[in-house]
Amino acid sequence: MKNEQFNDRNISNDYFKVDIADYPTTDWGKFKCALDRTFKLELLVGLWVVLREMFKFNTHTVKYPEEKMPIGPRYRAVHEMKRLWESDTERCIGCGLCEKICISNCIRIDTKIDENSRKEVSEYSINLGRCIFCGYCAEVCPELAIVHGGEYENASDQREHFVMYEDMLTPLDKMKAGTQSEFEGFGAITPHEEERVKKTPLAY
Amino acid sequence: MINFKINGISLEANKGETILTAARRNDIYIPTMCYISKTTPCGSCRMCVVEVQGVDGFILSCNTPAVEGAEITTNSVALENERVNIMKLYDVNHPLECGVCDKSGECDLQNKTLEFNIEKQNFSTRDISRDRQNWGLINYNPSLCILCEKCVHVCNENIGDDAIEIKVGGYSSIIVPKDADYLDCTFCGECIAVCPVGALVSSDFEYSANAWELSRVPATCAHCSAGCPLEYETKHTGVNGMDEIYRVKNNFEFSSLCGAGRFGYDFDNSAPKNSDAFDKAISSIKNAEAIRFSSIITNEEAHILELIKDRLGIKLFNDDARKFAEFMKAYSSVSGKLHHSGSLEAIKQADAAIIIGSRIATDNPGVRYALTTAARHNGAKIVYAHPMEDVLMQNVITQFMKYEVGTEEGVMAVLAHAILADADLDESEKAFFDDLDLGYIYAETNIGDEELEDMMKSFARSKNRVLIIGNDVIAHECSANIAKLAALIEKYSNFCVVIVPREINTLGVSLINTLDKDEDLENVVGYNANGSFVISSLEGSDLAVPALNQQEGSVVNIDNRVLPTNVALKFNGYTLNNIANALGIKKDNTIDYTKELNQDTGFKSVLFDDLENYLAKMGEDIRGYILDEVVCEANGKLDKLDDLPEYNGTIVYHCDPVLQFNAHTNETKQLEKDNFLRGSAQFCVAARISDGDMIELSFGNIKIQREFKLDSELKGTIALNPTYDIGIDANRYRFDKSKIVRVVQ
Ligand code: SF4
Ligand code: SF4
Ligand code: SF4
Ligand code: SF4
Ligand code: SF4
Ligand code: FES
Repeated sequence: MKNEQFNDRNISNDYFKVDIADYPTTDWGKFKCALDRTFKLELLVGLWVVLREMFKFNTHTVKYPEEKMPIGPRYRAVHEMKRLWESDTERCIGCGLCEKICISNCIRIDTKIDENSRKEVSEYSINLGRCIFCGYCAEVCPELAIVHGGEYENASDQREHFVMYEDMLTPLDKMKAGTQSEFEGFGAITPHEEERVKKTPLAY
Repeated sequence: MINFKINGISLEANKGETILTAARRNDIYIPTMCYISKTTPCGSCRMCVVEVQGVDGFILSCNTPAVEGAEITTNSVALENERVNIMKLYDVNHPLECGVCDKSGECDLQNKTLEFNIEKQNFSTRDISRDRQNWGLINYNPSLCILCEKCVHVCNENIGDDAIEIKVGGYSSIIVPKDADYLDCTFCGECIAVCPVGALVSSDFEYSANAWELSRVPATCAHCSAGCPLEYETKHTGVNGMDEIYRVKNNFEFSSLCGAGRFGYDFDNSAPKNSDAFDKAISSIKNAEAIRFSSIITNEEAHILELIKDRLGIKLFNDDARKFAEFMKAYSSVSGKLHHSGSLEAIKQADAAIIIGSRIATDNPGVRYALTTAARHNGAKIVYAHPMEDVLMQNVITQFMKYEVGTEEGVMAVLAHAILADADLDESEKAFFDDLDLGYIYAETNIGDEELEDMMKSFARSKNRVLIIGNDVIAHECSANIAKLAALIEKYSNFCVVIVPREINTLGVSLINTLDKDEDLENVVGYNANGSFVISSLEGSDLAVPALNQQEGSVVNIDNRVLPTNVALKFNGYTLNNIANALGIKKDNTIDYTKELNQDTGFKSVLFDDLENYLAKMGEDIRGYILDEVVCEANGKLDKLDDLPEYNGTIVYHCDPVLQFNAHTNETKQLEKDNFLRGSAQFCVAARISDGDMIELSFGNIKIQREFKLDSELKGTIALNPTYDIGIDANRYRFDKSKIVRVVQ
């Protein structure tokens, strides 16, 4: 790919410059400017535009929270934990890489050996109060287990606000219904990956 | 010196040195899979192949010595292909479980698979089902095992248990407990350490953390005077938990750990800060007549205690270190040197050794491993003089010299007599030996002169000899004379002497503190010891202080080496330095005292932060520093031999079971807590008790209750009584005439 389009930093012709007066530098100029702003009621000019449009019911913004914008598949909001399609079991293998890579140190996990001598994730939490939604965890995860979801309404009255493993896991009924969605953002599997897998010969 | 070339670079090698070690010394990389420096090369992997000009085929660099003028290539295309093919074979049907495997991130197979770029498996064989096995503290997963045999070799050559072997069966070969259905070994865990893959893992650690999550803290083992180098690996627990030690690792390439060091790491003190207790401690010390302390402390703490003694004019009690100091004083009065001459390395290099007065396998596993190495690598002749046989030493020693309990002085006298037969002694020394009533000593000690002759015969061609002296001798009534005899042997023969201190820092304390004879006073503050007010890192203390894995400071080990140790876990309460500050002895940190340690006894004025703590590339021990040699007056004279004492009836030997040493090891969760009185069938008859009886045992003025266990591995009329759980004073002569009565329930 050529880089020219990025290297040319001249703004295109579609743009035009707004004619704005320079900021005053002299004391007299500054004084005059302050007087203008105070007595010419510039503030009300803007306010009037808003009011006018309001009465005309001619709004151009989304009426949040009644109305919400659809968000892209790569949007990085509160994490989700995926399950395997084949068996519905959790994908996370407790490798701890997400915990290790997290630059704001907000992931904590603990693992143990379970009754079947398999590795089990016994605790998993993310402190959303610290998380900066950088996406590193999702990127490093070797199992495509932790991903970012679309849930961005996570305001809280606490600075510390945790999500636990259970909250993030795809509910089983969703698995039954086959509606678990895959994350398509960074780190996701590339299309047609399966065709590229080579099988071990089993000629014995 | 041998001159040869690798890849065109001229190198020098010592005579007999292998191509691989010479290459490694010179930073030339040759990949290996089965090589481990501390064992003889087993040559099972063929990864280390090299080409030698003029020689057909490939040569194994790990077991071929360099020869003069050889021109060696380590990286031709043919070699590369050979190695890639070996790696392909290793990877056949290897489970794809790096994601959960404990070894992932530090796995030799994983590393080499990436290094040689093995991306796919081009051929296959039908896999067979292999069950993972639980061997107590160890789990074995045969599907991950690459049969490199490192585990088998260390267990045999370095540890001496010889507990595992390879069951050969082609593709279905596995590692199995030797001649047994289950693993019954001393659980040093060294096999776990050397396993290059995740086949052998600690069952407690398994799946609890990954290599990249753990922080490493270099430290020194706190349990015995070997002072082995180790690394505590820590990580937080759970979502909100504090840090904990998850496992202990060591530089297994060159050094070994016993199970106490490897699995007994959780003896830290988690007691919270308590300022009331602190105030009480200060007033107790101000009112105290003495402070009693154990040798399980750092040099810096010992130094602080000495400063407190000076400031408050109180006494210091530590009979363990005091007895050791007295023994060393008598030794120095003949040898003219303050410190003993030997070390663990000297034992490893020895081709002849005498060990007297110690059940060494449990007293100091470090010495045991050094002896095993000497026996396996140098064919060392090892004479084990003790009243009790020890099965753990059976396949290491060449001669067992059984003597009667209490007669150590006589034994040492006849040993010296035999060893110094042709020595050029001075008048008074000659007079001592001429005065000996050999007939009487042979009869009382039960050592025959044929035994001594055999010993001298087997030592005939040896060059590096060591005399190892254990606690039964140090704590003996006549220890002073025995010490002088040991020094005499060292002075007039080619023996070097290793005196085995009992606790991790018995040696350091004996050089730092001026100790008083322990008396039963009323106001004694105990520091990690008994007293009317106890300051301790153990549970149930009046003021909590940090344990040795929560402190920085230094200790002196059996090699006369000052070793640093670091803080693995945080401690929130008060330290001895806080107490000292409250008493007006001001310093910011405990380690500010490191450079002020007593230089008259060989300490150097070195800052704590300047002490290194690692083994160098070829295994050179450069931890801390070795105490300076201190010359002292050699004017000691041997005393005439007293009548040898007699011990009749039921005797118990206070000796801890494998992996237990003291109250600290008793606090750890993985180490087995075997607290039976163990005796032989013969002992049962003599004491009129039988297996499983609850008995009351009395000796001195102590009375305890224990269950008796008949132990088929024991012989004779001496029973073994553990001390780690009852805290009998460390300085006691460990054989006791005892009264044993069955408790009727
Ligand atoms: S990186 Fe993925 S698999 Fe590993 S612990 Fe995190 S979520 Fe689990
Ligand atoms: S032994 Fe090594 S290669 Fe095998 S699964 Fe474990 S980490 Fe991976
Ligand atoms: S734990 Fe030690 S003694 Fe036991 S099998 Fe392993 S190496 Fe041998
Ligand atoms: S268990 Fe480990 S050390 Fe032992 S042979 Fe197998 S891979 Fe090698
Ligand atoms: S107890 Fe002794 S032999 Fe065992 S690891 Fe610790 S220092 Fe080494
Ligand atoms: S390292 Fe030489 S054969 Fe394995």
